[in-house]
Amino acid sequence: MNKLEFLTRLRNNLERGGLPSDDINDALSYYEEVFLDAGFGKEEETAAAMGSPEDVAVNILRESGIHVGGAPVMPPQRMGGPQGQAQGPAMGGYVPPKKKASGGSIALGIVLGILTFPIWLPIVCVVVSLLFALIVVLISLVIAFFAAAIGLLIGGIVALTEFPAVGIMFLGAGLILTGLVILICKPAFSAVIPAIGRGIKRFCGWVVGLFKKGGKENA
Amino acid sequence: MGFSINAGLLDAMVLSIVQNNDTYGYEITQYLRKAVDISESTLYPVLRRLQKGEMLETYDKEFMGRNRRYYRITPKGNDSLEEYREEWRSHKKKIDSILLNEGAEYNEQT
Repeated sequence: MNKLEFLTRLRNNLERGGLPSDDINDALSYYEEVFLDAGFGKEEETAAAMGSPEDVAVNILRESGIHVGGAPVMPPQRMGGPQGQAQGPAMGGYVPPKKKASGGSIALGIVLGILTFPIWLPIVCVVVSLLFALIVVLISLVIAFFAAAIGLLIGGIVALTEFPAVGIMFLGAGLILTGLVILICKPAFSAVIPAIGRGIKRFCGWVVGLFKKGGKENA
Repeated sequence: MGFSINAGLLDAMVLSIVQNNDTYGYEITQYLRKAVDISESTLYPVLRRLQKGEMLETYDKEFMGRNRRYYRITPKGNDSLEEYREEWRSHKKKIDSILLNEGAEYNEQT
C-alpha cells in the first residue's frame, strides 16, 4: 500500500466515523508528515509498520470518544465529535447511520452539475482561459526580463573594450535585471509549484475516495 | 521486553522528550523506540490527547518546501511532567523493593 492509498483509506474511514473535519485534517497532515519524514522509497514499509488504515482510524475515533461498532469499546471519556451509534457488530466495521446520506448528496450534486452544465461550462472556460492568459503574460514578462538581462550583459562585455564607461553601465544594468529575475523566480519555484502539486494530489485523492465510497455502498 | 506501557507512562515520556527539545512527530517516535515498541499510529492519539489537554502546543516550521509540525511543551505540561516524574519515582521504588529485593527489611518477609 502506498502513501496515497493509505491516506485515502484513512480519510474515508474517519469521515464515515463522523469525525469533525478539522480533526480529520489534523490526523491526515500528521500521517502525511510521517510518510515524508520516513523517506520517499519507504512508503510501503511505513504503511505496513503503522497497520491498516482502518485500525488506525478506529483508534483515532475511539480517542475522540466516538463509538465504533465491533470491538469492545471503552466509554467515551472526553468531548469529541458527534456520537455515532455502535451498530452491526457482525461486520467488524462501522457505519454510523448519519454519514450514509452524504453519499446520496454527492450523487445529487453530480446530477445537478450535469444538468446545469450549459450554464457553468462557458463560465469555467472563461475563468480558466483568463487564468491561463495571466500566467502566460507573467511568464513572458519574466522571460523578457531575462533576455534583456543577458543582452545587456553580453553587450556590456563587448562594449567594455571600446567604451569602458558604457560597457560598465550595461553590465550594471544587466546584473540588476538578473537579480530581479532571480528574486521573482525564486518564490515562484519554491512556493507555487509545490502548491500546485499538492492541489493535484489532494484532488486525485478525493476522486479516488469518492469512487471507493460509492463502490462499498453498492456492494 | 514484554512489559506493557500504559497511556500515562507514554504521555509522560512524550512530555519529557518534548521538554528537552521542540520536535516533530516522526522524531518523537524514533526516540521512543529506544525504549518501547511503538508505531507512529500509537503516537498520534497521544499527541492529540496532550494537545487537547493543553500540555503541548504546536507550530509549523518550514522544512524542504513543506511544513513540519513541531511540538512545544506548555507550562501546564511542565507541571504535569513533574508530577509524573514524582509518581514514577515512587512507583519504581515500590516495584524494585519487590522485584529486586531492595529495601527488603521493610517488606516484612521472613
